[in-house]
Amino acid sequence: MTTMDRPIPADPSDAHHDAPYNASRGSLAADVLNWATTVDHKKIGVMYLFAVLFMFFLGGMAALAVRLELLEPVRTTVNAAGQTVITGQLFGADPENIQAGNQTYNRLFTLHGAIMVFMFIVPSIPASLGNFFLPIMIGAKDVAFPKLNLLSWYIYVIGSIFGVLSIIGGGVDTGWTFYTPYSTTTDADHWRVVFMVLAAFILGFSSILTGLNFIVTVHKLRAPGMGWFDMPLFIWGLYATSIIQVLATPVIGITLLLLVFERIFHVGIFDPGLGGDPVLYQHFFWFYSHPVVYVMILPGMGIVSELIAVHSRKHIFGYKAIAFSSLGIAGVSFLVWGHHMFTAMGTLASTLFSALTFLVAIPTAIKVFNWIATLYKGSIAINTPMLYAMAFLFLFSIGGLTGLPLGALATDLHLHDTYYVVAHFHYVMMGGTVIAFMGGLHHWWPKMFGRMYNEKWGMIGCAIVFIGFNITFISQFLLGMNGMPRRYASYVDEFQMLHQISTFGSWVLLVGFLIHLFNFIYSLIAGPKAPPNPWGGLTLEWETESPPIEHNFHHEPLIKHGPYDFELVVPPHCDAREFPLPVPAPPKPGPEVIK
Amino acid sequence: MFSSLTLATVPPLKLAYKNESGAAHGLEALFFRGKAMGDAGLSTDGLFMLIFWFSAFFFVLLMVLMVYWGFFKYRRRPGVPAPISPSHHPLLEIVWTVVPSSALLVIFLLGLWTYTDRHVAYADALNLNVKAWKWAWGVTYPNGAESQWKLPLDPGSTAMAPVFVVPEDTNISLTLTSQDVIHSFWIPDFRAKMDVFPNRYSAFNFRTPKLATGVDYQDHWIFCAEYCGDLHSDMAGILRVVPYADYVDITENQWATGNLSPAEIGQRVYEAKCATCHTVDGSPRIGPTWKGTFGSEVTLADGSTVLADENYIRESILEPGAKIHAGFANQMPPFQGLLSDAQLDGLIAYIKSLGVSDEPKEGEGADDAGQEEQEQPPADSGEG
Repeated sequence: MTTMDRPIPADPSDAHHDAPYNASRGSLAADVLNWATTVDHKKIGVMYLFAVLFMFFLGGMAALAVRLELLEPVRTTVNAAGQTVITGQLFGADPENIQAGNQTYNRLFTLHGAIMVFMFIVPSIPASLGNFFLPIMIGAKDVAFPKLNLLSWYIYVIGSIFGVLSIIGGGVDTGWTFYTPYSTTTDADHWRVVFMVLAAFILGFSSILTGLNFIVTVHKLRAPGMGWFDMPLFIWGLYATSIIQVLATPVIGITLLLLVFERIFHVGIFDPGLGGDPVLYQHFFWFYSHPVVYVMILPGMGIVSELIAVHSRKHIFGYKAIAFSSLGIAGVSFLVWGHHMFTAMGTLASTLFSALTFLVAIPTAIKVFNWIATLYKGSIAINTPMLYAMAFLFLFSIGGLTGLPLGALATDLHLHDTYYVVAHFHYVMMGGTVIAFMGGLHHWWPKMFGRMYNEKWGMIGCAIVFIGFNITFISQFLLGMNGMPRRYASYVDEFQMLHQISTFGSWVLLVGFLIHLFNFIYSLIAGPKAPPNPWGGLTLEWETESPPIEHNFHHEPLIKHGPYDFELVVPPHCDAREFPLPVPAPPKPGPEVIK
Repeated sequence: MFSSLTLATVPPLKLAYKNESGAAHGLEALFFRGKAMGDAGLSTDGLFMLIFWFSAFFFVLLMVLMVYWGFFKYRRRPGVPAPISPSHHPLLEIVWTVVPSSALLVIFLLGLWTYTDRHVAYADALNLNVKAWKWAWGVTYPNGAESQWKLPLDPGSTAMAPVFVVPEDTNISLTLTSQDVIHSFWIPDFRAKMDVFPNRYSAFNFRTPKLATGVDYQDHWIFCAEYCGDLHSDMAGILRVVPYADYVDITENQWATGNLSPAEIGQRVYEAKCATCHTVDGSPRIGPTWKGTFGSEVTLADGSTVLADENYIRESILEPGAKIHAGFANQMPPFQGLLSDAQLDGLIAYIKSLGVSDEPKEGEGADDAGQEEQEQPPADSGEG
């Protein structure tokens, strides 16, 4: 790819601008100060990456603890000597107080949900990979508001500290959804619920600022020659995500504040004991929390579009259909919140929300068809990112299709609030977002850190994660259909076998993620140096060095081809023998190039 | 104390899916464990299986293409370019938009059909009132009787689930309400649930199955499906379908309260509503024990003491937050408006029957009525 002739005016005082963005400044203290005060989107992205991965670790530990507790049902019996005996309770068991163990369990699953949703999955892809790659992929030097970007990271850290303080103070047992009037009356004399609610409130601002920054960046800072339909689909995904973040997050902010007011000042908004309406809370809550499901999944879909196109060297099938379906999903996502409340609403509202819910399934299905069609006649490399992309297609399809019985009213009455729902949203959130995140992390790891990971162990890790995930959650589909409600610290005997299978699967998952962890650590310490364009990608991040220099590009790039024109252009820094171009058949015109 | 109330006399748990008539087979058994009950349940399962086969067809089709193309047909060979192929195809794209959309419309309509069926209240239904509170279910029959039966949640367990007896082959309409937080009333075998709110009534309609010949009763689990706190997972019930004659006998002759002494009525209320948190054997549970409570000096959370007389007990039931017993959290729901006078008097009489504190108290004579009631003969001579 040729670069633009207009050089950026050189600033002799900034010699390090041609050095890798993560080059050391000499001493540890200087480095810490440099990172803590940086406005470089790449450093902020890396700081977000480590922060969200740490939160993923914490939330994952809570999940493993929850699964371990469910290995055996809790039984309280009276033995021959007349003493109360509790069996099957691993955490907080206390024969004097049969509730203590359940209280511990309820705090653990709340912890898992709150950490994974508010501190991990919402910021995960946009704030880490998005921050790092959005400016580079549109050929910009940075996001539109670099200082705001740093501020959003600090707000994220402050919000997380509130959450951790709440956990240290004993944790909360409200579930991550904070349903009223339970959440306004539990632990009435304690501050920890307020702290957890405030954590979610504060984290919302981090999310809003990131979204706002991305919207302005995409509108104003695209490189010369890059039209809207020359943008990589990852950018379209992030753009649609940002719109939802900016529009929906303020609603949860207000709702959570009302919750705090009700707890502290006893203003009767949601608690019927004070004259409020508990279902009103659910409407407010899901008006944010349903769109936010698409905040979680749209960036993942964007990543998968990149992975499939690059690793099968194929122009993405139906570029515009994918781009517009992202926006379509973002739009419809605001109209479907009621499907979380079919058992709480009247028949007319339920009917309308059910119909709208099916509407959101259509653009999602179109995306999956497009991805599969992209593989057709490709040159498909089997490596860790591509395996993760295929794992995404497999798991996300299950996640989407198992949503159909939840959108249909009759079947939802049975499946709502059961393990079926738990399994369904884990297939979407984890099988979709986390798997796409893992794929994207492997795909862009060489670019971010300048070193390759071990491909063989990456693929083994991916395979083990895939198997472990299915063992863990297919059993939960069956549990839910069989009659197992969610958020149960214990269960009747007939559910034990499926619970044990699920817990076993969680251990397999752990092994898979540990392999990735060691692979990444190995890569940072001793991985081979990464070339600028190891996969033969055509988007702009592959034109610059690995890792990129501080200003991303030596010269402002000029766009002369689309992001997926693999049949027209030899990728930058690549050998035409390794990435050969097809010989077009002379009589027919070439494929339609989207411009 | 009352032989009719001991567990030994409650017929044991017989879950419907373990019967020959309620058992499911093959894929249905894997998915649902047992047959769905009622027409609405059966059509719910039918819709689920329709969606399942529809989804399975498209899922397998897509995955076969992905694996065949990705791992075999179009796997990368060094130095070989991908041939030029179209990057969109309008006809194909229209087909794969219209076909799933039409299928989704059909699924939506089928789901709506069964859902509206469930929401039509039967004109001839048997109406039962169901109350939910942390962490139990209670049912009141048209004659005012309440369920007196409980069974262990699992063999040997001390966690108990109330048994709700309903007649076979009958339309049932439940009116549900909660005394504290949101609960959700779910009978998995009937494939439906309904949220239960503290500030309004919700309805749950179903038709009980006809018992197979040779089956004298069958049981279905009731679970709370909306997270409600510490003992959420113990908040179960058992729906027992019995022949009509047995239903009449149990609710009219065994559970009706017409000719019971106050203390017996009190014990029944205790079994149904209070035993989750209070014991009668002297050991503390979530709330203080009732044994030896009457006439004792109770230390309150603020350090003061109060004599546990009739008025103290009455107030503690109706407005539990007014005086908090030292060492216990203020988490009992108020029973104001939820107990009849007879039930309240019964509870007080029952607590008295559990023993009067031995300590001599200064305050005797404060309540003459109390003295009189203590003269009552011991309750175990009752005709229960």
